[in-house]
Amino acid sequence: MFLINDLIALLAANLILSQALGTSTIFIAAGSRKNLIGTACVITVFTTIGAAAAYLIDLLIQPSIADLRLLFYTIVIGILYVALLASVYRFANKWFEELRRYIHVSAFNCAVMGTLFTINSRAAMDGTMFDLGGYVSAGLEAGIGFIIAALILTAAYKRLNSSKVPASFRGFPAMLVYLGIISMAVYSLK
Amino acid sequence: MTDRKKSLLGGVLGDNIVLSGLMVISPVIICGDTLKNAEALIYAFSAITFLSVLISSFVPKKLPYTAKVIIYALISALVYIPVKLAAREFYPESIERIGIYYPLLAVNSLIVFQTEAKFFRMKKGDMIISLLSCIVGFDIVMLLTGFTRELFAYGTINSRIVDVNTLIGGLSQPFGGFIFLGLMCGAYRFIRGLVSRNSNNDVRSDADVSDK
Repeated sequence: MFLINDLIALLAANLILSQALGTSTIFIAAGSRKNLIGTACVITVFTTIGAAAAYLIDLLIQPSIADLRLLFYTIVIGILYVALLASVYRFANKWFEELRRYIHVSAFNCAVMGTLFTINSRAAMDGTMFDLGGYVSAGLEAGIGFIIAALILTAAYKRLNSSKVPASFRGFPAMLVYLGIISMAVYSLK
Repeated sequence: MTDRKKSLLGGVLGDNIVLSGLMVISPVIICGDTLKNAEALIYAFSAITFLSVLISSFVPKKLPYTAKVIIYALISALVYIPVKLAAREFYPESIERIGIYYPLLAVNSLIVFQTEAKFFRMKKGDMIISLLSCIVGFDIVMLLTGFTRELFAYGTINSRIVDVNTLIGGLSQPFGGFIFLGLMCGAYRFIRGLVSRNSNNDVRSDADVSDK
């Protein structure tokens, strides 16, 4: 029962299905299951570590200079981007060529930046969430939500691209409608 | 129309960044439910994208790709600050409603990825025309989405009540945005197919990681 409750909570808080964050990225990677999962996993790394850094930034930034938040988040993601590329090059050189594609696509997009801003606005509304643990778990949750959305999309990818779908709606339009229907189901869980 | 003109002005209709490239769709899905939101987003997107790409075009091309992407994102984040300050004067209500989607416009793929893949391979003049056509393409879709969703979800046009018999409340919700954009995308492809008789419908960013 707890597991079902957790799953429902995870779906209801899903940033793709409830806020459309990272929809473009998920479509970019939709070409294959491998790409989807690879991109989703790298995005999870970005959202989790990025959320920890965002906590420190939010601690330092005063409300009077809140408009600088995007700049600081961009700097953090930029550092993380370089660090991740360097780490993969150093420790997983064999897969560098393959993994760097996912890192390039995952660094600057709505999924990662949107997650940081969503966590920030949630923390502003609910003071109990404003600690490092709260930020990191929210970042990880957002990443797992992205993976779940990627799996949901992968499940129907072939059918949405099959010749049975009218040519005009084949692919992306059908995927958008499909995500809309899933989003409607998730909306009813709230 | 010559091929050059097509490639420069394609962003408006032929290769619309939202309907064909599926870029910057999150704000359209979530915030494109009223005309006022649409106006605020159009202003922000147009100002941030145009200025950011223009300034980014002076970044040395010899720099590594990763460094350039980070610099483009930083430039965009800096351009966002005055744009947001001005928006507080012009669209104070919409700013609240748009919320986190406002800063997200600054990390849109047109600035971060298309600059390298498309714009910076062109001459300056051509780049500006192509960029403007992409921006106008987004603006048209945003206006159309805002108008239609507001009309059928709330029964208003620019907050003025109009006589509409059928209201579909779900159109104002995110799922309504997904479905509406999907249908619009399909209709756009159908019309484009009729006009150009071109079967190649998928125009994607060069940042595509598909291994197909």
